[in-house]
Amino acid sequence: MAEWLRTFRQGIAIENPLTVLMIGLCATLAVSTLVQGALFMGLAVVFVLTMSNIIIAVFRSVIPHEVRIPVFIVVIASFVTIVDLTMHAFLPEIYQFLGIWIPLIVVNCLILGRAEAFAYHNRVSLAIADGLGMGIGYWLVIVALAMIRELLGTGRIVMFERTLIALPAGYAPPGLVLLFPGAFIIFGLMIAASRWLGERTERRKERC
Amino acid sequence: MSTISQLALLFLGAALVNNILLTRFIGLCPFFGVSGNMETSVGMSIAVVFVMTLASTATWVVWTFVLDPLGVGEFLYIPAFILIIASLVQFVEMYLRKASPVLYRAMGIYLPLITTNCAVLATATEAAKPGFFKMNLDLGATLGLGEALVYTLGVSVGFGFALLTFAALRERLEIAPVPRLLKGNPMAFITAGLLSLAYVGVAGWFGL
Repeated sequence: MAEWLRTFRQGIAIENPLTVLMIGLCATLAVSTLVQGALFMGLAVVFVLTMSNIIIAVFRSVIPHEVRIPVFIVVIASFVTIVDLTMHAFLPEIYQFLGIWIPLIVVNCLILGRAEAFAYHNRVSLAIADGLGMGIGYWLVIVALAMIRELLGTGRIVMFERTLIALPAGYAPPGLVLLFPGAFIIFGLMIAASRWLGERTERRKERC
Repeated sequence: MSTISQLALLFLGAALVNNILLTRFIGLCPFFGVSGNMETSVGMSIAVVFVMTLASTATWVVWTFVLDPLGVGEFLYIPAFILIIASLVQFVEMYLRKASPVLYRAMGIYLPLITTNCAVLATATEAAKPGFFKMNLDLGATLGLGEALVYTLGVSVGFGFALLTFAALRERLEIAPVPRLLKGNPMAFITAGLLSLAYVGVAGWFGL
């Protein structure tokens, strides 16, 4: 159980896929203009990552080493197809917003990377912990980035046509934040901030 | 059929205005991964131009003559396209090793990496499957083979161009005095943001 928790926590903080490992960046920067879109993108990644980790861990002893990558890709592609068709049917607006990024989950380095580096060598329970931890770590960062960008870029955060937070009416939103350069610059500052937080906790530990 | 000027606009639009790396965030992993060094960036760019063009042609043919007539495209396009790209890359690698050792040395190690490069899957999907191509050029809902080829060439040349510019900038950054917390990746992101700002400006030239 302790090992399970450690694996789970590893993904969220110590080895966060976005701010530390820096994998799976493309979709993060592209869909983080709307909190609503980022929320579902994150959910889709958590689902695909956990399910493909489970399947690969279950069959890890029968997948031959030489053809493991094609096998991983087919497993991942099947779960992405499930997400693709489900979203198309039940959440058409969000599906329209995410567009090409849904099929691109297949080639998200995060998912293939975890299949190769973790699920293929570990037992099922740990693979679930890794999938959930890494997935939720991804989810937290993408939603945080989307919140900053939507709040600064439009002056409010809207979820399902209800305004959750709004800045004072006099705020003139800089359009740059919603455009592509804003994403790069804000994400760069976020990595620097997470680095600063990491260093500070290290120093605290040393002092104790 | 489209006119020459339409094709030229399609090429420039794909290469500059909708630059795949800097204005659409597709394929960022190699963008940050190999851009630390000018030589590797050149190899990667050549490999991408080569594979992307082949991949789009292959997926276009498979979609138009196999998946669409059989009516299974909606469910099967994700696994079908990714498998086409993966096997294509494998064949190109084997052929190049035999036929042209010089070319193989120049781009050999980047070929396997390209299989999981989202830029290739994204462009191949946009070129082949109707509904993903988003540029506003009055070309109709589906691209013909010629248009698909021009589009792919534009995208891949834009990819190479952005990658090389960024690699050159990063070599300069190595010797620049950067605050400690921003050193490395955060600074790379901020630089990419400024570079992407330049590309946003290009959009005004063509009125796209």
